[in-house]
Amino acid sequence: MGHQRVFELIAERIEMMFELSQAGKNKSGVSVGSSLIRFRGPRQDRVAGFPVFKTIALGVLVLGVILSTSLTHLNAQEDQPDIGLSAGILLAPKAFRAATKKVLPCLVTIESFGGVGAVQGKIGGIRRQGEGSTTGIIVSKDGYVITSSFNFIQKPRVITLKTSDGSAYLAKPIANDNTRKLTLLKIQNESKTGEAKPLNLNVAKFMSEEEIRVGQWAVTVGIGFGDVNPAISIGIVSAKNRGFGRAIQTDANVSPANYGGPMIDVQGRIIGVCVPLNPKSSSLASGVEWYDSGIGFAIPLYDQSIIEKLKKGKDINKAYLGIQPKPAKLDGSGVKVVTVVKASPAEKAGLKKDDEIVKLGKYIVQDVNQFGTLVGRFDSDSKTKITYLRGGKPMTSELAFTVPPKVTPTRPNPGSPKLSPAKKEDKGKKAQPKKSNAENENGK
Amino acid sequence: MRHHLKRSIAHWIILVALAATIFVGDDSLADERLNGFLKKAVDIAQPKTVKIFGASVGRVEGYGTGIIVSNDGHIITGNGVYLNGYSTRVTLNNGETYPVKVIRRDSNLQLALLKIDASTPDFFELGETPAAEKGDWVIAVSNAFKVAERAEPLSVTLGILSLETKMTAKRRGTEVIYEGPLYLIDCITSNPGAAGGAVVTADGELVGMIGKLIESKETNTRMNYAVPEKLLARFLAGKPSESTQASTSPKGNSKPADLGITLFSLGGRKSPAFVDRVRRGSAAKKAGIRSDDLIVTLAGQTISNSTDYKSVLATLIPGEKTVIVVKRRNSLERFDIVPDEKK
Repeated sequence: MGHQRVFELIAERIEMMFELSQAGKNKSGVSVGSSLIRFRGPRQDRVAGFPVFKTIALGVLVLGVILSTSLTHLNAQEDQPDIGLSAGILLAPKAFRAATKKVLPCLVTIESFGGVGAVQGKIGGIRRQGEGSTTGIIVSKDGYVITSSFNFIQKPRVITLKTSDGSAYLAKPIANDNTRKLTLLKIQNESKTGEAKPLNLNVAKFMSEEEIRVGQWAVTVGIGFGDVNPAISIGIVSAKNRGFGRAIQTDANVSPANYGGPMIDVQGRIIGVCVPLNPKSSSLASGVEWYDSGIGFAIPLYDQSIIEKLKKGKDINKAYLGIQPKPAKLDGSGVKVVTVVKASPAEKAGLKKDDEIVKLGKYIVQDVNQFGTLVGRFDSDSKTKITYLRGGKPMTSELAFTVPPKVTPTRPNPGSPKLSPAKKEDKGKKAQPKKSNAENENGK
Repeated sequence: MRHHLKRSIAHWIILVALAATIFVGDDSLADERLNGFLKKAVDIAQPKTVKIFGASVGRVEGYGTGIIVSNDGHIITGNGVYLNGYSTRVTLNNGETYPVKVIRRDSNLQLALLKIDASTPDFFELGETPAAEKGDWVIAVSNAFKVAERAEPLSVTLGILSLETKMTAKRRGTEVIYEGPLYLIDCITSNPGAAGGAVVTADGELVGMIGKLIESKETNTRMNYAVPEKLLARFLAGKPSESTQASTSPKGNSKPADLGITLFSLGGRKSPAFVDRVRRGSAAKKAGIRSDDLIVTLAGQTISNSTDYKSVLATLIPGEKTVIVVKRRNSLERFDIVPDEKK
């Protein structure tokens, strides 16, 4: 508690005391202001010394009240005053349990059957994916479930879901968000005649960006340890806007036991979906190596637009612009276009050699590295405005990103998962845009 | 005017005194209450936890942690080859060092009971009642990475109890038979030398002992867990552990069960349990199982592959009804099935 707050409390108390003394008094004519340090009230008819005595008496009384009040207020839980401030922290486990209970109806247990039995080599320091069940979060009444793509790294042929009430369903992957490592599943509730059996599932609520604060409690929940009950781990929100602005960082454990599960606040609201993430790599399993490092990530879904996009069955990838940049000035700052790839979004936006890019969307361009990060913030299907100087004259045009050419997006079912360790593909980081490299990081 | 002056001086004196009290009170109280909320637990746990130094064998670290469980010097720790040497010794919280005698080992729970010739009032009294439930704060006290030496206090980390569960586990790549219940915790204890450390509540009560390094089969990750106090109590009392009892066949001397299902053999034990043939007149035929069905669960157990199917089949009792769930086209079908006796 800051001193500011203590003073506010004192002021409040004194105010109350004086109001009380006012009410009890009528004829003495004492009139005292309600501010902390300013006492008013001219009195002519008093015996000398009396006001001083009275004031001291009043002061002692006030002191007592204030002390007791401030102590009470210091206690986070008033019913356990002897434990003091720590009571709030000591009682936190109750909140963790209550929050977990609240989110359970929105979770599903995912089981996978078949697929690549033994993946060769290691996946992010782990030999291969475990054999246990994984977690998903229900995002629509009619059976859409969001989860981590990592859970399907073995390309299972059959995926089943079990809701919290014990009903089991078959599910199929609809689309992947490869930038956020999310997979959208759909419960297959069509009967043999092709009609959809109505589902009425409990839909998860995601927190808004403003509601999530760095330092707040975070609880990660996952069903991965082969138990009906989820395992929970706690920590705090370590940072927002990680991984090109797509992820929330936490120090709660995020591991194969809870990939696809939710990270919630103490009220049971969902902060994000737990995923393995390493901002330096786009490989599906990168980030798993950090599972007990105190660095974990969850993908917030502030708005449901990502879900809506995935529902259409189109994968989301990192944005591709199609230019080769170089520093515009001698000190290395600024971004100048060296080449524009044919039929790329950059060419379609009208960019030409020697244009100096100054703004991308709402972001001001500083240098080549930062520009790469800016492009990384966009998805392959997003649109924005690009501002550039041509011969010193500012020009703005509409830009529609695409996926890099000749890249087959990965899917849990068709296509092959990228299992190469993170190191390998980092070489592709500074790849030229003309090379169609599936692992190309910047897509510039 | 003089009165007024006196009065205001009096007011100011009171206010200054008051403010001073609150400033001082705020700082000391808040500090004690905010920053020291687990001090009690740490103060209780530290003297009851010891450092163990033994022989390092190959890449296996030659040190560990242990908990004192009696006033005459009994110590429980994780079993390990480092205890085999001639010069294993224990260092107490006060820096005193004693030679160690290994009394007993449990290869199933991976526990070892040690004894030193010293009496101490500081020991964990082992009981059967769980001290913590899921979500409660836990503090792990251990000598991970041998950070502490002699009288230096052990390392303390904070976490919560994540889950009480049973699990199959692996140690260094090979499957181990550890199937006992354990407490998963979310502070990282899967480090060299941490095994044998104390896991206590915020009140300093023992929850369990940090177990030896194992990997979960479900997630392929290193586990952070504690062997529950009640298993330690049974080990100390010399009773066989629960998991030993559990691993004996539950069906006793009954005959093996048969469903009449032949699975596709796609080469390899990890192939999914697709039904190839269903024998005429068999339990599966009566239940309604067809070829090309994929067995998803049997008797409530997930069947990920043909090996799972065989191991679950071995636990079925002929004549006792159970449930089989199969994937057929785009739906999951559930059947009651009564296993036959294998001929």
